[in-house]
Amino acid sequence: MMSGEISVVIVLLDMALLVLIGPLVTGIIQKIKARLQCRQGAGVLQPYRDIRKLLRKGTVQADTASGFFRSIPVLVLAATVAAGALVPVMRAAPPVFPMGDAIMLLGLLALARFLTALGALDAGGAFGGMGASREMTIAPLVEPVLMMVVFSTALAAGTTELGALAAHRGTSWILSWRAADFLGFAAMLVLLPAETGRIPVDNPDTHLELTMLHEGMLLEHSGPGLGCMLLASHARQIVTLGLVSALFFPFGPTESAGAMGLLLGAGAFAVKILVLAGFLALVESSYAKLRLFRVPQYLGVGFVCALTALALRIL
Amino acid sequence: MAETLLWVLPLVPTATALLMLTTRDRRILSALDIGGSTVLLALTLVLVRGVASGGPRTFGVFRVDDLGLVFLLLLVVCTLAVSIYTVGWLKQAVAVGNMKGESLRSYFVLVHAFVATMVVTVLADNLGVLWIAMEGTTITSAVLIGYHGHHHGLEAAWKYIIVTTIGISFGLFGTVLIYAAAADVHAGAGAMSWSAIMAVAPRLDPGIVRIGFIFVMVGYGTKAGLAPMHLWLPDAHSQAPTPVSALLSGVLIKCALLGIIRFQTIASAACGSKFPAEVLLVFGLTSIVVATPFILAQHDLKRLLGYHSVEHVGIVALGLGFGGPVGTYGALLHVMNHGITKALAFFAAGTAIARYGSRDMRIIRGLLAVAPVGATLLMFAALSLAGVPPFSIFVSELLVLRAGIGQGHFVAIAIFLAMVVIIFAGLLHHAGAMAFGQPAATAGREAEAPSPLLGMLLLAAIMLLLGLTIPASFDGLLRRATEVIVG
Amino acid sequence: MRAHGAGAEDPVSTEMVHAIIDDIGALLLFTMILIVAAGQVYRAIYAVAAQSLLIAIAGGVLAAATGNIDLWVIAGITLVVKAIVLPSVLHWVVRRMNVRREVEPVIPIAATLALAVVIVVMSFHLSASLGTVRQAITGNALPVGIALTLTGVLVMATRMTALTQMVGLFASENGIFFTAMAVTQGMPLIIEIGVILDVILAALVMTIMVLRVRSTVDADIADLDRLRG
Repeated sequence: MMSGEISVVIVLLDMALLVLIGPLVTGIIQKIKARLQCRQGAGVLQPYRDIRKLLRKGTVQADTASGFFRSIPVLVLAATVAAGALVPVMRAAPPVFPMGDAIMLLGLLALARFLTALGALDAGGAFGGMGASREMTIAPLVEPVLMMVVFSTALAAGTTELGALAAHRGTSWILSWRAADFLGFAAMLVLLPAETGRIPVDNPDTHLELTMLHEGMLLEHSGPGLGCMLLASHARQIVTLGLVSALFFPFGPTESAGAMGLLLGAGAFAVKILVLAGFLALVESSYAKLRLFRVPQYLGVGFVCALTALALRIL
Repeated sequence: MAETLLWVLPLVPTATALLMLTTRDRRILSALDIGGSTVLLALTLVLVRGVASGGPRTFGVFRVDDLGLVFLLLLVVCTLAVSIYTVGWLKQAVAVGNMKGESLRSYFVLVHAFVATMVVTVLADNLGVLWIAMEGTTITSAVLIGYHGHHHGLEAAWKYIIVTTIGISFGLFGTVLIYAAAADVHAGAGAMSWSAIMAVAPRLDPGIVRIGFIFVMVGYGTKAGLAPMHLWLPDAHSQAPTPVSALLSGVLIKCALLGIIRFQTIASAACGSKFPAEVLLVFGLTSIVVATPFILAQHDLKRLLGYHSVEHVGIVALGLGFGGPVGTYGALLHVMNHGITKALAFFAAGTAIARYGSRDMRIIRGLLAVAPVGATLLMFAALSLAGVPPFSIFVSELLVLRAGIGQGHFVAIAIFLAMVVIIFAGLLHHAGAMAFGQPAATAGREAEAPSPLLGMLLLAAIMLLLGLTIPASFDGLLRRATEVIVG
Repeated sequence: MRAHGAGAEDPVSTEMVHAIIDDIGALLLFTMILIVAAGQVYRAIYAVAAQSLLIAIAGGVLAAATGNIDLWVIAGITLVVKAIVLPSVLHWVVRRMNVRREVEPVIPIAATLALAVVIVVMSFHLSASLGTVRQAITGNALPVGIALTLTGVLVMATRMTALTQMVGLFASENGIFFTAMAVTQGMPLIIEIGVILDVILAALVMTIMVLRVRSTVDADIADLDRLRG
């Protein structure tokens, strides 16, 4: 039995780890994409370099922006990082020191999204407003579906705490999958690009006004503020991937374990994230961005899958 | 002997179709056509005699009982009449370019393939075979409906194949469910055979049989043209070549009814006769009510007859729903009567349409002056369809009515009577306007061809005979068939 | 329920078969959702091919579990005919027609998706209300089958292009097959083969009609709507 202090330390360690490797995952996705397109591509560490560069620069701010604008990046980053604390990384067991459950996690992500949109509107730029309005059109389609996927898994386990969910599923995951899990996972795969701001819903590589959602909201930020926003979006991506792996592929020590067990859990986590990152890169390379009006139809598939998964669990 | 006939019967039209592949000559094809139909009729009569003396026979997946024989008789009589009618009809159709001389062979082959699949539906004991043959009729007849190859024909054929295939999928699902219920009780290869299921029917799970019956009712009901699944029927019956229309309306929708009856007996035994009877009543009444306004407002002669089939299928369903010996007997008699009369009506309509070059009833005027015999037969058919006394349909409608009163279904009877009266008025108005009055200048005045008249007279004779008196042998057949259903 | 051969050890346990059939059922529902949501004919064709493949796998699993040779044959035929040949034919027709790749729904696809959900929930509710006889059908095969059949019909009713209607038909047929396979021993082989033969013939006739209308009036057959009243 671990003492309370140690478990807090582990949770914080998890959180720090997540934030730190967030940009790396983005870098890996970019690299895979580049190789799939027969390009050399930038190194996997490129996102770190970008952030370091931004952090060293000064800040320029629109005249129309209020004082609140300056605090937005920090708040967004804080909300996202806090969400990271709720994802079980190295363990597949309920934490000794519970901080919140999956609903809390989704709430924090939604808060970050809300703050981002608020900042974009606050700056008063046309693109920012457009990006925010688009983002807020998509969000109500994505978030309920995420909720339903979580619920469909939670119903079986009787808890919404991610660690407990993982423990309930056990580590023989794919063999213990029930019918509803397949549909829930399918819904999750459909949603992943939307939640991580990737093709076919959004395009992270471009600032063309026709295509962008998330990037549009970042246009008015600069210097360290933009660095924080970028770090937050990297963190958000890995938190989402972590949520998927906790819901569907939990792996790691269930009881108190030594350093060996934790290392094993961390290694498994890395593999799972890599596989999901590969999936995202593959989707990005093989599909075109959808017209905005087609996005609800695309997300509708996820919605129906999640609802069916829920129905399978209840009926 | 009778057992041998069971597998020979479906082979007769098949063999006829294969023989037809050897020639392209129209006269030889027609001769083969009539020959094949005659052989079929003769063998069926032998089979009727055999069953009357020796009871139901089984051979593999085939089985013949008195119930099937009623439908088989209707099938073979109509087929023969169609063959005779086709000779003259074809000559005219080729002359005006409606049928292409070089593609006649495929037409005849398809007609006999169509007949073969219908024979199998009637003789099938295995419910799976019943379904397969029913889908077979869809495929063969869809090609025939679109045979003229023009725009409307293909549209009707597409609508037909899509709607009935959807419907028949439901039928297969219902069959699977009933099979599941039977396999639960009677694990073994016989779980799909109707006679084997009937033997264990009281022990089947009522819940699944109920769902299965509803699926089957929607499925085979689509094929039978029961409203609201009748959408394909007026299009298909109006666009098909006339002989095919007669087969579709006279025989095919009755084959689907036989499928419904087979499942009705299972459902009655498994979950009481009340449930299937109510389902049949609802569909029957809906069909009668839905068809009425379309009959009144119709200008296209063949569409009129198509909607009329919807009404009469509804009457048969109503008779089966009222149930009891009287209602069931009436329904079976109505199957026979309507099949014969509707085939006659399509023949008469086809010759009239050929004469005027239009299917619009506002153009077909004064038929009595240009074609007295054809006009009289058309009037006879219309009067019979409307339910006027000396003709056969009057008798069966009366029996259905009496069954309804006997069972105390007064609301259903009231709706039924009201609709029949309205249709009576509408039909007589249409028929009277076509027969009397001044013929248009465009009307063809050539003499009436003998072969179509012969085909029509054959049917008209049967129609009159059944209206005046039901022969003892046929009456016995119907009574035994009623016993199969009522038990 | 199932008649076991005397002393014969089942290669796969009954619970395991139930679980696998349920899982395949969920994947079938997923492919059905893809068919309903497909905006392009190609996607719908790929989805229905995947669906048929799953049906074939389900047949294989049930065959292994019951030791029923017939089921192996049926699974093989399903694989070849419905997962490979028919989709290829449809694909060929799309290429040959060279136009109209969109499915052209009558009502918005989102609405169709909503209806599909209603159908799925209804099917599960309906079969949950059935009593003991559910045991005669393995696992969730009955509600999944009903859902697939009805959704296939939904697709046929709400799409205006002929090819999408055909895809709906195949999906519908798949649902029936899935249920039929899961009924204790599967339907008799001869019946299943007959049913598949009918499906092939129907597809053939439909394909011919589609091509014929395209060549004569240059329209999609499902667009023709002159017959009214």
